[in-house]
Amino acid sequence: MSSAVVSVDGLTKEFRSGFGLRSKRVLRGVSFQVAEGEIFGFVGPNGAGKTTTLKILMGLIRASGGRARVLGHDVRETDYRRQVGFLPEAPYFYDYLTGREFLRFYARVCGVARPDRAARVETLLDWVGLGHAGGARLRNYSKGMLQRVGIAQALVHDPRVVFLDEPMSGLDPIGRKEIRDLIRRLQAEGKTVFMNTHILSDVEMLCDRVAIIVQGEIRFEGSAHALLADDERDAEVVLTGVGPALAERLAERFGDAVRGLGERVEVAIGQKRVGELLSEALAAGAQVVSVAPRRASLESIFLSAVAEQARR
Amino acid sequence: MSSLDRIAAIAGNTLREAIRNRVLYALLFFALALIGTGVLLSTLSYVERERILQDVGFAAIRVFSVAIAVFVGIGLVHKEVDRRTIFTILSKPIARSEFLLGKYLGLLATLWLQIAVMGAGFAAVSLAAGAPLGAVHAAALAGIAAEVAVIVAIALLFSAFTSPMLASLFTAGIWLIGHLTRDLRGLGAQSQVEAVKRATEWLYRALPDLDAFDLTLQAAHRLPIATSDLLLPLAYALGWIAIALVAAAWIFERRDFR
Repeated sequence: MSSAVVSVDGLTKEFRSGFGLRSKRVLRGVSFQVAEGEIFGFVGPNGAGKTTTLKILMGLIRASGGRARVLGHDVRETDYRRQVGFLPEAPYFYDYLTGREFLRFYARVCGVARPDRAARVETLLDWVGLGHAGGARLRNYSKGMLQRVGIAQALVHDPRVVFLDEPMSGLDPIGRKEIRDLIRRLQAEGKTVFMNTHILSDVEMLCDRVAIIVQGEIRFEGSAHALLADDERDAEVVLTGVGPALAERLAERFGDAVRGLGERVEVAIGQKRVGELLSEALAAGAQVVSVAPRRASLESIFLSAVAEQARR
Repeated sequence: MSSLDRIAAIAGNTLREAIRNRVLYALLFFALALIGTGVLLSTLSYVERERILQDVGFAAIRVFSVAIAVFVGIGLVHKEVDRRTIFTILSKPIARSEFLLGKYLGLLATLWLQIAVMGAGFAAVSLAAGAPLGAVHAAALAGIAAEVAVIVAIALLFSAFTSPMLASLFTAGIWLIGHLTRDLRGLGAQSQVEAVKRATEWLYRALPDLDAFDLTLQAAHRLPIATSDLLLPLAYALGWIAIALVAAAWIFERRDFR
């Protein structure tokens, strides 16, 4: 990937404890790339190494090995962070500040010129829908409002890349939709978005590309659509009037794919075998209630990746 | 955007947090109340009433300032880590050493502001009781301010690599020993055993001599203070502050924020 905004190559991390006598390997040679302008989903179960990877990218944790670069800079550098925004997971902010004071403080730390600060802060407050609440202290904000003001602080210096750690975590459906809309607007403004998450439906709705990490190893990296299209598509066939003899034959031929009770049977099989199933069922006098395609979900792919890793 | 502006932003925010913290106001109130009780205590004596009044006042200012320096100083970094506010700050274009220096200066500004308020209370009580006030009293307050600056730097150093409980114990320990090293060296010098002499001398050099900042005796007795009596301790304080902050920054730079 020539225009990689984020480039991670063979990243490893071991946490040492007990005066260095105990160590826990969290990342085992993680590699992936993120292209300019895309929404990239970094997906994995709890404890897979998502947040550790993100903290290495943000310079909060030092990698034990490998290389991580953002916009061509080593992540241990400081200056390039003028072009990077970050929203941590379940963020806590200085709750004694008002939303406006909070954003002005971050604008100053990020080097936004003094004459531009006030206008930038007001624009951002409006942008995240908090124009009315800029004068209220953060301790009085709801979780959704905190998440939005958190996104605003990540954008206060107009960065090129935005890193979000579990941005939808703990939000109600309305709050999640608001954050999804904000992320789409970021992409529309030409920003690259890197998103850590375990909410797969959000990944399916938002992400152009996905990497799945399980136990510190990347199990998949690629286009989210390709990931879903590549998987064998299933169909679900529902039959009635299935006698005991037919039920037995179906169970022999299609195994665990057959579920049902009495005369009603559901069979989940690959699309290529639907004709075979229907011929057999109709010949035995069964009736077809429905034949519906079953789209592979990211969840099923994710779960099979986790299961495969557990078997290794 | 200069490094100084980033440091000033962090320091300003630390100061603002302190100003909006009601606990510090409560401590300040108790300190002022204690300074006021000097009037009552001085009435118990027929001699040197003004001296007792001012001794109690200086002791109250020192104890409250050092207590706040230790207990707020050790939580300065820990609180940012514990509440995860440090994640958003350190992901910005700011060096860790700038962040640390900003936190230090913010707390120092808070403490010096409190010393100024307590000093004003001390002056008001002294004037009301007819006790003398002069430049030597201001110099004694400057000495306390210098001692507090050293203690905050040491608290920050310990808090950079250990838990708040241990950091508070270590810092309080350094403060206590720091007021004893001069006496220990004096005792060691009288010893006949060469090893004891060397050990007490080494201890004196390895740890801060906090008595160097104590000008309250001169103030209570209205003894004249030469400029060097004030400048040398200030230079000594700057040296210790620099050592503690550089060590804290070195450790902080290598720390993982999980």
